[in-house]
Amino acid sequence: MKKIILFLIIPVVCFAQSNKSDEILNLVKENFNKIKDYQVNVHIKVDVNFIKVPEGDATIYFKQPDKIKLKSEGFAMLPKEGINFSPLNFLTGDYTSIFDKEENVDDNPCYLIKVIPLGDKSDLILTNLWVDKKQYIIRKIESTTKSNGTFIIELNYDKDIKYPLPSSMVFSFNVQKMEIPVGVMGDADEINKTEEEPRRKSKATSGKVYVNYSDYKINIGLPDNIFEKEEK
Amino acid sequence: MITLINIELYKIFKKWRTYIGFLVIAVIVPVINFAMLAEGEKSLDFMTRNLQQSFVFVGNLLNGYLVSYFILISLAVHIPFLITLVAGDLLAGEATAGTYRILITRPVSRMNIISSKFIAGFIYTAFLVLWLAIMSLGIGMIIFGVGELIVVKSSGIIIFARNDVFWRFLGAYGFAILSMTVVTALAFLFSSLVENAIGPIISTMAIIIVFLIVSALQINFFRKIEPYLFTTYMSSWRLFFDDPVDYAALYKSIAILAGHIALFFGATVLIFKRKDILT
Amino acid sequence: MPEEKIIEVKNLSKEFKELKAVNQLNLTVFRGDVFGFLGPNGAGKSTTIRMLLSLINPSEGDIRIFEKSLKKERISILKRIGAIVEKPDFYGYLSAFKNLEILGKISGADVSRKRIMDVLELVGLDKRSGSKVKTFSHGMKQRLGLAQSLLHDPDLIILDEPTTGLDPQGMKEIRDLILHLSRDRQKTLFLSSHILHEVELVANRMIIINQGTTMVEGKVSELLNTSKMKVTFEVDDSDKAKSILSETGYTNDLESVINNTLIFNMDSEKIASLNKYFVENNINVSAVIPTRSLEEYFLKITEKVS
Repeated sequence: MKKIILFLIIPVVCFAQSNKSDEILNLVKENFNKIKDYQVNVHIKVDVNFIKVPEGDATIYFKQPDKIKLKSEGFAMLPKEGINFSPLNFLTGDYTSIFDKEENVDDNPCYLIKVIPLGDKSDLILTNLWVDKKQYIIRKIESTTKSNGTFIIELNYDKDIKYPLPSSMVFSFNVQKMEIPVGVMGDADEINKTEEEPRRKSKATSGKVYVNYSDYKINIGLPDNIFEKEEK
Repeated sequence: MITLINIELYKIFKKWRTYIGFLVIAVIVPVINFAMLAEGEKSLDFMTRNLQQSFVFVGNLLNGYLVSYFILISLAVHIPFLITLVAGDLLAGEATAGTYRILITRPVSRMNIISSKFIAGFIYTAFLVLWLAIMSLGIGMIIFGVGELIVVKSSGIIIFARNDVFWRFLGAYGFAILSMTVVTALAFLFSSLVENAIGPIISTMAIIIVFLIVSALQINFFRKIEPYLFTTYMSSWRLFFDDPVDYAALYKSIAILAGHIALFFGATVLIFKRKDILT
Repeated sequence: MPEEKIIEVKNLSKEFKELKAVNQLNLTVFRGDVFGFLGPNGAGKSTTIRMLLSLINPSEGDIRIFEKSLKKERISILKRIGAIVEKPDFYGYLSAFKNLEILGKISGADVSRKRIMDVLELVGLDKRSGSKVKTFSHGMKQRLGLAQSLLHDPDLIILDEPTTGLDPQGMKEIRDLILHLSRDRQKTLFLSSHILHEVELVANRMIIINQGTTMVEGKVSELLNTSKMKVTFEVDDSDKAKSILSETGYTNDLESVINNTLIFNMDSEKIASLNKYFVENNINVSAVIPTRSLEEYFLKITEKVS
């Protein structure tokens, strides 16, 4: 009898968990969909192995559902996965989500939800989302990708926010192989030091990118042409 | 002494061969710039390809600074050649023309004669490098504008903020003047030994090219002698494009190059002071 | 009052790898001399001049100029010397004027336009002052060489083959200039030349060297007196002339007879009396040509050794 009950309960519980995670995610999506578009100034600091980039300023433009643009007067660089932290980014296509547990992120109680994309299309293998219990904003993302290793996005928000848009983000990552072509620049002291493929070196790269967001302009009706590819 | 230097400079700049160097640079730099206009994006793409795998970036990386950097690297052999054209002729030219006789019978010391010639040669060298600097940066900035400078080393990629680049170029070109003065001094030394400028031009270039080849080859033995070749230190201008700048290595390179200049010039003085003028 | 020794060379030697070009050479040049420095090709003249001008280092010996050691006071000595060494070469890509200006500046001379043009005029190049020297003929370069040697108004002028490549008119002009410099400007001149006739006409003292050593040194007049003259008599009847000679001591002096020309090798004092003898014996003498010259002496001396 116990076996039968267990047998009946487990799928129900699973279903319930699944249901619960979907519910949570839907609330997150709804929250985010309040934003039609936004424009924000960013200050970027890159702290990555083997790359030295000066701290820089740029502007990010976003328009639902997935238009995103980085603009800068000078040079600015953002990790691909970090430029667009819209939850929709992680929740497109077919996926399964599982409610794992409740866990705090910086003293903020969160739900930890696992998202597994189905099919082969997505680059993501597994994503862990920490969703704030009260505000249904994403506080942390941990994702494993097929091609680019693992990354973690930590999002910080101001106290009383109207929209789920962070004030700062820390993007941490670990890339197994980052090849640097040496030959083009002719690094004289190092050239031809390796046996094969003398023009490249494979390195494991890791690091963090710190982004501060300021001056959000939300739902201002951004035109589509901002997102067009620039004519050089 | 100033009179002597002025006279030597006058003689140098009255010869058409002096202008070859300036002309060559005036042609090569625009040519490289236009080549970069056509192909630069592709090269940049190639350089940053793997960066692009993980990052999104914007900015004018194909700018005058990048082209100038590229020019500095490319002309490692060409500029020395242009230097030897004039430096190799400073003494040998007098022998060829037969003018040693009227020069050395003047009431001035041989030391003054040789010093004034060397200083004039150095001034030519400095002018040539400055001309390269002005052409590279000038034309580059006009065509491509300025921006951040991306430098790809085997130790990683460095992107310098646009206001952090110019002083580095000043340092690099300043260092290049020192490097090229070593070439001047060597050609000058050879020039004191022969009666025709061709000899010094060829022998100086031969030494530079052989040394560069030795530096580039993979053989263990060559690796050991590499620190003793002055050409190894001539490319130390790259140290300016590092973060942080390795000033210790830089000062070491400067000292070694300066030492070579002193050595070559010292040898020339010894030879010249005692030389029997038979031409 | 002892004459000032302008140049004093003692036991001067120069050895190149296998050749001793100058061997224990001694010579003295006094103030006001026009000194002839003679010797066949390869005798060591050029080497000696180069040593006087510090172009070459002596292997041995001592050179004193203006009574100072050349080794120790080279610069102050060179200030007072003007020289041409062998072929006068200049900066061909510069004008005559510019060459002089540059060389003059180094020598500390007055290089005002007036002074340079004066010197160019003296050598006959004032009209070509702006032309590039590479367009000059050899003779013109010779003149420019002379100009360069005079620009800073030196006390001693050393000229190596000053008349080479000049036409007879040019040679005369140079000779006149040399005499002018000696007599009117009290310069001391040191001339080496192959054109011995030229030297004979201007020099008062001379040295003949061969294989790097002194053969003879002394006053030109004294040296020439020790040699006999070659005298050519042109007569109307050489047979008759010959026959009347046979009874006299002049026969011994007769060297050869070609048509109506009799060539004697005799002391100069005898010329007048021989002439008188012919005339008294009804032989018409249409010409008496003495060819007494340094050339003969020179050949004689140098033949001795070779």
